[in-house]
Amino acid sequence: MKRMDFGKRLVNSVLPVLLAFVIGGIVILMIGENPLDTYGILLGKSLFTVKGFLNTLHYASPLILTGLAIAVTFKANIFNMGVEGQLLLGAFFSGIVGTSLPASLNPAAAQLLCLAVGVICGVVFALVPAILKAYCHVNEMVVTLMLNYAMIKVLEFLATGVFRDYSSGYVCTPIIKENAMFPRFGNSKLTMFFFIAILVFIVMYVVMNKSKLGYEITAIGKNPEFAEATGMKVHKKIMIMMIISGALSGLAGAGYMMSEQFKYTLSFSGNPGLGWDGMLIALLGGHSPVGILVAAIFYSALKTGADHINLYSTVPKEIVSVIQGLIILFLAVKFVDEHTNIREKLFRKKTGKPETAISEEA
Amino acid sequence: MSIIKTIDLTKKFGDFTANDRINISVEKQEIKCIVGENGAGKSTLMNMLYGLLRPTSGKILLHEKETVINGPMDAIAHGLGMVHQHFKLVPSLTVYENILLGAELKKSSKSPIIDRKKEIDEVKKLIEKYKFELDPTDKIEDISVGGRQRVEILKMLYRNVDILILDEPTAVLTPQEVDELFVNLKELRAQGKTIIVITHKLREVMELSDSVTVIKQGKVVGNVLTKDTSEEELAQMMVGREVVLTVQNTAENKASEEIAYQVEDVCTINDYGKEVLQNISFCVHKGEILGVAGVEGNGQSELVKVLTGLMKTTKGKVSIYGKDVTDKWPDELRQNGLGIIPEDRYAQGLCGTMSIADNCIAGYHSVPDVCKFGLLDRKNISCKRDRFVKDFDIRVGDINGNVGQLSGGNAQKIIIAREFESNPKLLIACQPTRGVDIGSIEFIHKQILDFRNKGNAVLLISSELSEVMSLSDRIIVMYKGRIIGELSPKEVSRSEIGLLMAGIQNNKAKGAFI
Ligand SMILES: Nc1ncnc2c1ncn2[C@@H]1O[C@H](COP(=O)(O)OP(=O)(O)OP(=O)(O)O)[C@@H](O)[C@H]1O
Ligand SMILES: [Mg+2]
Repeated sequence: MKRMDFGKRLVNSVLPVLLAFVIGGIVILMIGENPLDTYGILLGKSLFTVKGFLNTLHYASPLILTGLAIAVTFKANIFNMGVEGQLLLGAFFSGIVGTSLPASLNPAAAQLLCLAVGVICGVVFALVPAILKAYCHVNEMVVTLMLNYAMIKVLEFLATGVFRDYSSGYVCTPIIKENAMFPRFGNSKLTMFFFIAILVFIVMYVVMNKSKLGYEITAIGKNPEFAEATGMKVHKKIMIMMIISGALSGLAGAGYMMSEQFKYTLSFSGNPGLGWDGMLIALLGGHSPVGILVAAIFYSALKTGADHINLYSTVPKEIVSVIQGLIILFLAVKFVDEHTNIREKLFRKKTGKPETAISEEA
Repeated sequence: MSIIKTIDLTKKFGDFTANDRINISVEKQEIKCIVGENGAGKSTLMNMLYGLLRPTSGKILLHEKETVINGPMDAIAHGLGMVHQHFKLVPSLTVYENILLGAELKKSSKSPIIDRKKEIDEVKKLIEKYKFELDPTDKIEDISVGGRQRVEILKMLYRNVDILILDEPTAVLTPQEVDELFVNLKELRAQGKTIIVITHKLREVMELSDSVTVIKQGKVVGNVLTKDTSEEELAQMMVGREVVLTVQNTAENKASEEIAYQVEDVCTINDYGKEVLQNISFCVHKGEILGVAGVEGNGQSELVKVLTGLMKTTKGKVSIYGKDVTDKWPDELRQNGLGIIPEDRYAQGLCGTMSIADNCIAGYHSVPDVCKFGLLDRKNISCKRDRFVKDFDIRVGDINGNVGQLSGGNAQKIIIAREFESNPKLLIACQPTRGVDIGSIEFIHKQILDFRNKGNAVLLISSELSEVMSLSDRIIVMYKGRIIGELSPKEVSRSEIGLLMAGIQNNKAKGAFI
């Protein structure tokens, strides 16, 4: 049973990716290039060379964290859509603290301080929808989603005003002090941040799979009435989950600031944004920590590989965005299927006598 | 002429054979009862007839023609309707909307607009025709479990099926309602319909049916005409041994004077501000079973919700062994020694999409032998599950599967095992044997009596009057959210309690305060 479940989940995640690659391949063919060569460059450079792989891991770090931040709430059917906003706020203020530190401060202390500020910002910002949801029954999805846009504007205001670095030609905050930056390992971009992300991953793996909290999160997601009746204080758990989610988002932002960006710009988290990427990754990974780890690395490989495509072939690097879009599309099909059993019906019509039950819940 | 016939119908779930070469035949215009232990495969068989499950092998013959049933819609088109053991209604819609779901009445045949008035009238007529007690404009979520059952039956009757399958229809009905239902079913039979009923109550089998099929562990072990058999013989066939049909509370009332559970003057209102409990006061002594009788929907559900921490009181006090637990959370109540067998097992007691092991610890997932430093001890939990399955004879197809795959009675046994094994001092048992087979009823009743004999207290809420009468030391009767009488089961008859349940006071009821 367990194995079958696992197999089914694997198919659910791998199939959309394969389909996206196939259709992406058709697009590449139409451009007049060889899809296999292009994919070879795309994944070969980012996964099968040491430097490329380390860079991939580097870019995967914030994605692992945002993926986990999404999964921890989605699993309980609470929807924190505000990961992006929480990440940006965390990043912004860890950056501000990073610039205003005395340069003489011990690097470890400086880095810890910056990370802590990021985490706190993420948590505080997540608390707003959490309290509204847990105690006033306000729909958290709407609130978190809207607050993202509010936060982006607030940060834009701060970055163009009080905190602007006027020595720079475009809108950004001053670069953080050297002691607040994570040093790189060797000639790759990899820093301490990746190992922090892995540590968090291990902790979250234990929390989600082995802990009482993970058990309660699952129960709340599957049957809230049951959860309440068996003594799980659902509103308290909602607060805890949102706090964890906010903390992970803030950490992702701070870490990205200290290992990659070093200053806040208006395109800090890229397009569509690390928080939104996290949502895709959580879906690809089926909300399981291991799945998220794999999905984050894969997704990051696509991102880093995109630059190589530009260098080594005539295919525009936007092909990667096309593939990302297609993955989202095919993942969505899975949800349609979950609710309508389309696959089952099509399958049944064709073969006439499948073994499986039509509705197992009866 | 047989209207339904199955030939070697088999259903496998993985390696587990739930139905093994079943051959049954149902005659036109008969009432057929299917009996068998929990997990025998009765629902599975019916689900195949209704097209919810696909047979692994074997044939179904409708009207002596081989028919492949592709789903419930197809089944209904073939004139075959089914009412499920677990309701499939939309809680946020009204009674009439549920009955007409998918068959909405339009203003005119081409108009896209639903004619509510016509719909309500139509459903009203239907309700009156079958003398059901329902208001077509009530929302499903606001009506009692019994009411929901009636909606399910009406839904099929509205669709003019000529074969009606009822999976444990009486489990949730009160004795009066059962009688009414039987009158209706017999009337339907007289009009030429064929009815298949699954039930665990042999008394009903004898009263209602023309013929009986007994299923045991997925195989047909008996086919008899009702007039040629007896309750004892059927029980013997089902279980394979002799069964005590009613476990009697024979022990002298050893209840001590010490009060285990005290409920004083409790009132509450529902979401719509209606006062559903009015000044409820009672106590349960150590070593005593207090039964709560009453027609379903007279405040019992709300009382249980208040007492188990799912609803707040507006007034009053509840205490366990002198400790005030008014409006405490379910986990605190459990910590204070309360065991809870909830009314709706799939809503409050179990989570169908979680594993059996996970369900075995629900509510007790913080106790030290399951949870250390916030981490769950999976090994211990599996041991616990295996022990429950063995000690309580829970029949599972796949031990690692989800609770949703268990048959109704076996799912209930998970709750029973979980709550008894956590050593409570006080048990609130709500409909503890609903949908449970006779062998297991005997078992559960014995468990409850043993528990009482160890000096613990039990509050037993059941719409099954015979259950309340045979187990309780004292009975209180609820009517319209109030306690209207207290009786001793040894001194009153069924009919006297029945009158009280209908709100008619008699002088034997002491402590009545109207
Ligand atoms: N979807 C499923 N997957 C695996 N096993 C199943 C599934 N559905 C039912 N079973 C198993 O098949 C057996 C028969 O179940 P079924 O629901 O038919 O029993 P039943 O006779 O209706 O019992 P009850 O009286 O308790 O309702 C049970 O052991 C159950 O665990
Ligand atoms: Mg059944």
